[in-house]
Amino acid sequence: MPRKVNRGVDYDEAYDSYDDYDYEDDNDYSVDSPAKVEEPQQKVKKLWSCSICTYDNEEGMSVCDICGVIRNPVAGDFKNSNKKTAAFKFDAPSPDDMVSTRLQSSKLNTQGMFFFFVLIAVCCLDFNHSETFHGSSGSIEGHNSLKKGILSGQLSDEASGSSNPLKIEGTQGNADDDFSGQKQTAPASNFGKMSLSDKPGNSNALDSRKHKSTAEYHPDKWMLPDKANDTLTQLNLAIVGHVDSGKSTLSGRLLHLLGRITKKEMHKYEKDAKIQGKSSFAYAWALDESPEERERGITMNVAVAYFNSKKYHVVILDSPGHKDFVPNMISGATQADAAILVIDASNGAFEAGFDGSKGQTREHALLIRSFGVEQLIVAVNKMDVVGYSKDRFDLIVTQLGTFFRSCGFKESCILWIPLSAVENQNLVAAPSDARLLSWYRGPYLFDAIDSLQPPARDFAKPLLMPICDVTKSSSQGQVSVCGKLVAGALRSGLKVMVMPSGEVGTIKSLERDSQSSAVARAGDNVTINLQGIDLSNNVMPGGVVCHPDYPVAVARHLELKVRALEELAVPILNGSQVEFHIHHAQAAGKVAKILSILDPKSGKETKRSPRCLLSKQSAVIEVVLNTPVCVEEYSNCRALGRASLRAMGRTIAIGIVTRIIQ
Amino acid sequence: MKIVRKDYLPDGPGSVKMTPVDSDDLWFAYNLILPGDSVMAVTVRKVLREMASGSRDAERVKLNFGIKGIEYDKEGGVLRIRGKNILENEHVKIGQFHTLELELHRPFVLRKQVWDSLALEVLKQASDPTASADLAVLLMQEGLAQIFLVGRSVTTSRARIETSIPRKHGPAIAGYDSALNKFFQNVLQAFLKHVDFNVVRCAVIGSPGFTKDQFHRYLLLEAEKKELRPIIENKSKIILVHTSSGYKHSLRDVLDAPSVMNMIKDTKAAEEVRVLKDFYDMLSNDPDRACYGPKHVEVANERLAVQTLLLTDDLFRNADVPTRRKYVDLVTSVKGSGGKAHIFSTMHSSGEQLAQLTGIAAILRFPLPDLEDIEM
Repeated sequence: MPRKVNRGVDYDEAYDSYDDYDYEDDNDYSVDSPAKVEEPQQKVKKLWSCSICTYDNEEGMSVCDICGVIRNPVAGDFKNSNKKTAAFKFDAPSPDDMVSTRLQSSKLNTQGMFFFFVLIAVCCLDFNHSETFHGSSGSIEGHNSLKKGILSGQLSDEASGSSNPLKIEGTQGNADDDFSGQKQTAPASNFGKMSLSDKPGNSNALDSRKHKSTAEYHPDKWMLPDKANDTLTQLNLAIVGHVDSGKSTLSGRLLHLLGRITKKEMHKYEKDAKIQGKSSFAYAWALDESPEERERGITMNVAVAYFNSKKYHVVILDSPGHKDFVPNMISGATQADAAILVIDASNGAFEAGFDGSKGQTREHALLIRSFGVEQLIVAVNKMDVVGYSKDRFDLIVTQLGTFFRSCGFKESCILWIPLSAVENQNLVAAPSDARLLSWYRGPYLFDAIDSLQPPARDFAKPLLMPICDVTKSSSQGQVSVCGKLVAGALRSGLKVMVMPSGEVGTIKSLERDSQSSAVARAGDNVTINLQGIDLSNNVMPGGVVCHPDYPVAVARHLELKVRALEELAVPILNGSQVEFHIHHAQAAGKVAKILSILDPKSGKETKRSPRCLLSKQSAVIEVVLNTPVCVEEYSNCRALGRASLRAMGRTIAIGIVTRIIQ
Repeated sequence: MKIVRKDYLPDGPGSVKMTPVDSDDLWFAYNLILPGDSVMAVTVRKVLREMASGSRDAERVKLNFGIKGIEYDKEGGVLRIRGKNILENEHVKIGQFHTLELELHRPFVLRKQVWDSLALEVLKQASDPTASADLAVLLMQEGLAQIFLVGRSVTTSRARIETSIPRKHGPAIAGYDSALNKFFQNVLQAFLKHVDFNVVRCAVIGSPGFTKDQFHRYLLLEAEKKELRPIIENKSKIILVHTSSGYKHSLRDVLDAPSVMNMIKDTKAAEEVRVLKDFYDMLSNDPDRACYGPKHVEVANERLAVQTLLLTDDLFRNADVPTRRKYVDLVTSVKGSGGKAHIFSTMHSSGEQLAQLTGIAAILRFPLPDLEDIEM
């Protein structure tokens, strides 16, 4: 959800006029889109001199740029942008809070402080995008006053506290674009450098843990991707589907065809499988490595495998389909950027998988969607069993298509591919079987993977890496953690903090696909070896590796916006006991309160404190967990703000974290 | 609980002398003894004696005092009562405050102004030896194991083992095996320590997936290897049950499982699970015929709609007399109109669940859709 940020400066009421300076930050907080900010310096046509401070203002300005004095009460071309006002509520410290706290406090200091708060406003605006401004340093006077401005800003921060829910009355519109652009460019470019250099030292003096906002973070150069070096981006591809639909076999076949499994290995799998009387599982064994999985012939944990396509380093996350292992599937597949949903086309099997109460097809699709996956390849497997029948394929497409629409997948983002993993049809080459060839003209699977859109990455944000897996080696005194970087980047030698314990360790080395690598960036699936972490201290899956200055929140009382899944066995009540899953963490907890039921379409509140939450309803609920988990609000970090609730072995609701209460 | 002597009028004053024999009984005592009652019990006090040497001596002192407060420590299973002395003896003056622990196998006399129907019900249950479930439950999932003892009215958590088990990653698969082995080893230790087959009817191993089978195999193998007699002899008492997770609330899956149900059929714990399940079923199938929260239930009862009433013992315990009275009347009126009332022990997982739902719920005879509109 793109976040609109509004900032307003409130001028003292003594001046009889209320102006809003609005600056619309175009969503996504990624710094790599500064286009909006860097507006061309406009030519100065005419100047007017402020009656108070004698600053030469541009013609377009209705208010003095320095002291905020109004030029004359009804400025000609000034568009008052108070028409569309919207209330915004922020609870966690965010750049906006810092701005608004400063603004609010500066509002208290009346006329005398005028001089400062305009500067504050300027430097606050500047905080977020200061990397884009590299103007020459301003006058000495400017420096001094700016410093004071920052100082007073900090004081007010302390005074008002960061957790105060603040309502910022701001405007949301376009009327003021040109206006704020002009207002801001001249001084901002002057002080840009100033605030940049001030940032790490000055503003962290106080309790930086809470007050630091990601907007102040500036990535080093090495953190940003270097296009020349590596043309392939990493794509995490989850393979999901109902049990026995052939996920592992498909993955194994794919790896084999792409030469990631040697002939010798494959021969061994085939032999072993034959000995156990499960020769059809030979390909699956490439991924199902544990004896337990092989013996039972089902995947139990998410297996990770790598191959390269033309466009991507693909990381396959082969998920278990059995309903008992959905928690494993959740913890493994939250990393996914895109997914392949495998459907068993054979008669009866598709219906069983699609059945609401027993099959996992629906549950997986919904979970995958709740992880933020938008692009889906539907691999209709085992087409050989139904004789490559077009009718069967079409039936599946129509039935599933309706369902996907209801899940919120866009039709254009779904690719339907009939294939057969066992007979190697339509995997890495166009089909050879005449029956399939006669009606299917679309891409083959490998092609389809390349047609996926590369996911957007948060390279420029502070490091965040949820821990998927931990291995400890006591002999070397190091802990290896693995997971997918959600944001930021890391390289060996870097100091990182492991939450929730808050220990700081040093990265000794990095591995990707069992090969050491120098740098890992957002989106990469890596194993990092950490030193300086206490081995006895439990570094557990579900923790988060983060930047020492920007630790992730650890909370047990959350407000969620959820959607109950269809066909709930038991409605969700106040006090229902649930298992809470978020990234790789899971915890038992209860629904403390159902705050309100929302209209699924408009998102408006339809009923307050309802008795219970039934199938398909959307609601805002509070959840209290028995053990705290690392979590971020969805608006701050999507990957750490997506949660799912399970009870009695089924997923009952999926949703996002809207507020961290405690 | 052994009842030594009974001397009371139903809904009138009287006294009962009883001896708690297991930790469950302390829980019953906890539910029986209310502020305002009086308890006569024996305790040990340090008595200062005027002897030539001036030495101190410990002596058994009989105390009879009016109850002011009562505490139950659920981990240790200790019941502590506090009050003001009402019967003077040579060491303790009237009006002195004392605290004592009620101990197992030591009789005490409880005197109440009113023995209401609920108190009598508790007393009856407490003295019924056949109702005991006494089940050891090991709940597992990969990396997490918990051992619970399910008694007649108390579920105690005995051990919790949590380790991180690496998932599979190519060559690291060996790490998985060794970590899993280590985990099982720890669980086995805890199992041997906390599960006494002389006491429990059976031991249940529950987990999602195959962890239970893996552990069961490991358990038997180790038992052979290390000659663990209690396990070899009681092989048949170990039952495997599928649960949805390894967390405590999955105990209901265990108590719900047919194989376990057969073992503990007539016990309170099993009944509670069944009734709560009925309630949930009703709520999902016909939400108008199920309600929860004191207000809603009260309204439903006024209209004689309550078929089955579900209450936690919590509501009776620490409540003041009028509130207790109210709930007692509610129970009586439901029973009077042909309904059933189930009082859940908050020490069981089902009772815990009910406590989350405000502690009171009801299945109704006929739908009352307008309950929705009443503020809770």
